Amino acid sequence: MLRASIEYQGGEGDLSAVTEGSKVGDGGIAHGEKLTTFAEAAVAGDEAELATARDALRAAAGAEVLVDAAAVIGNFQRMVRIADGAGIQLEEAMLSLSQDFREDLGLDGFASNRSRTLGAVARTVAPVVRGITKGVLRIAGRRRRRSEGP
Amino acid sequence: MSAFSYPDSPDPIRADLAEAYRWAWAHIAASGTWLSGAERVAVAEETRRARRCGLCRERKAALSPFAVDGEHDHSGALPAPMIDAVHRVTTDASRLSRAWYSSLLADGLSAEQYVEALGVTVLTISIDEFHHAMGLAPEPLPEPAAGEPSRATVPRTEIDEVWVPVMDVRKASREQRALLGTPPGVPKVPNVIRALSLVPEQVNAWVQVANAQYLSPDKMLGFETGRAIDRAQMELVAGRTSSLNECFY
Repeated sequence: MLRASIEYQGGEGDLSAVTEGSKVGDGGIAHGEKLTTFAEAAVAGDEAELATARDALRAAAGAEVLVDAAAVIGNFQRMVRIADGAGIQLEEAMLSLSQDFREDLGLDGFASNRSRTLGAVARTVAPVVRGITKGVLRIAGRRRRRSEGP
Repeated sequence: MSAFSYPDSPDPIRADLAEAYRWAWAHIAASGTWLSGAERVAVAEETRRARRCGLCRERKAALSPFAVDGEHDHSGALPAPMIDAVHRVTTDASRLSRAWYSSLLADGLSAEQYVEALGVTVLTISIDEFHHAMGLAPEPLPEPAAGEPSRATVPRTEIDEVWVPVMDVRKASREQRALLGTPPGVPKVPNVIRALSLVPEQVNAWVQVANAQYLSPDKMLGFETGRAIDRAQMELVAGRTSSLNECFY
C-alpha cells in the first residue's frame, strides 16, 4: 500500500525507507524522515531517543500527526504478531505484486518468510500487472487532484 | 476518573482512540469464548511481564530461540504452554515456527485457547505500544468480570497458509461469516483476518481497535484516511514498524 499511495499521489517515493529508515531521508514522503525516526525509536530505541523523536515530529508536523503516527505504530506492533503468531503466509496476489521490491529490499530474507516461491507463470505475469496497476493509480490520483483544484 | 482519559498528556488524544481503548479493556475483562475474564486479564498481565522476562531476553539474544531452556518470569496464573505462547509472541514473534505451535498443542493447549490468548496478547500490545510511543504511562489493567466462557464453536478447517485452524467460511452461517467483518469488495478473506477467525470475537476486537489506530475496513482499499496523517505517511510508519519487527507479511 505504500507504493500504491505514493503512485496515487504522483510522487517518486523511495521504498528503501522501509528497510533503511531515516538513513535515506524522507523517502519522497512529507516528514518521512521524522516519521521513520519516530517509528524506529518507538520499536527499538531507548526512552531518550523516543522523547527526542517525538518532539521533532511534533515540532515539524504537529501534535495530530504525532498521535496518528503513534496509533499506527501500536496497530502494526499488533499486526506483525498476529501474522507471526498464526504463521500466515502472504496471499499469492500480494506475493506477485510485491516480488520486485521484496527482492530489492531483501524482505525475502526475513526469518518470518514462510511464503511459497512464485511459479514461472506468476513471475512472468506479475511485472505486467504491476505496470498496469501503477498506470491506473497515477491516472486516478491525477484526476483526484484536478477535481480538488489548486 | 475513567480509563484512558489522558489528563496529563501534552498532546490531544483523539476521542475515538480513547473510546476504542476503553472498549478493548472491557472486552479483555469480560469472559470470552474459551477463556474466563480472569484468564484474559492474566494473559494481558503476562504480556507486560514478558518485556521484563530474563528467559525471553536470553532467547532473543540466542542464535536460535529454541536452544535456550529455562522458566519464564510469570505470575503463576496461567498454564505453562500459554505462558510460553504469550511471552514468545510478545518478545520474539518473527522466529516462531509451526513445530513450536504444534508443541503447545501437544502440551495441552487447544487451538482455540491459543487463538484467544494470541488475540488478547496483541490487543494489549497495540494499546501499550501507543502509550509507550506517546510517552504515556500504561493504563492499569481492568478488573476481570465474572462469568463463564461461551465455548461457542465455528466450523473449522486447516489450510496451508496459516498454522492455526481457521473458520471454514463455506460451512459457516451468514451470521458467523459476518463476524469476520470482511471489507466490502474483498473477494477473499485476507489471511490476517483468517488468522483469528477460529475465535470470531477476537477478529471483532482487532477490527474495533484497528478502526481507530489505523483505518476502518471501508477505508483500507482507498487512499483517503480522514486523519491528519495521509495514506503514504501511514504506510511508511506501518512498513518501518513491520520491517523493524522482521515481519514478512
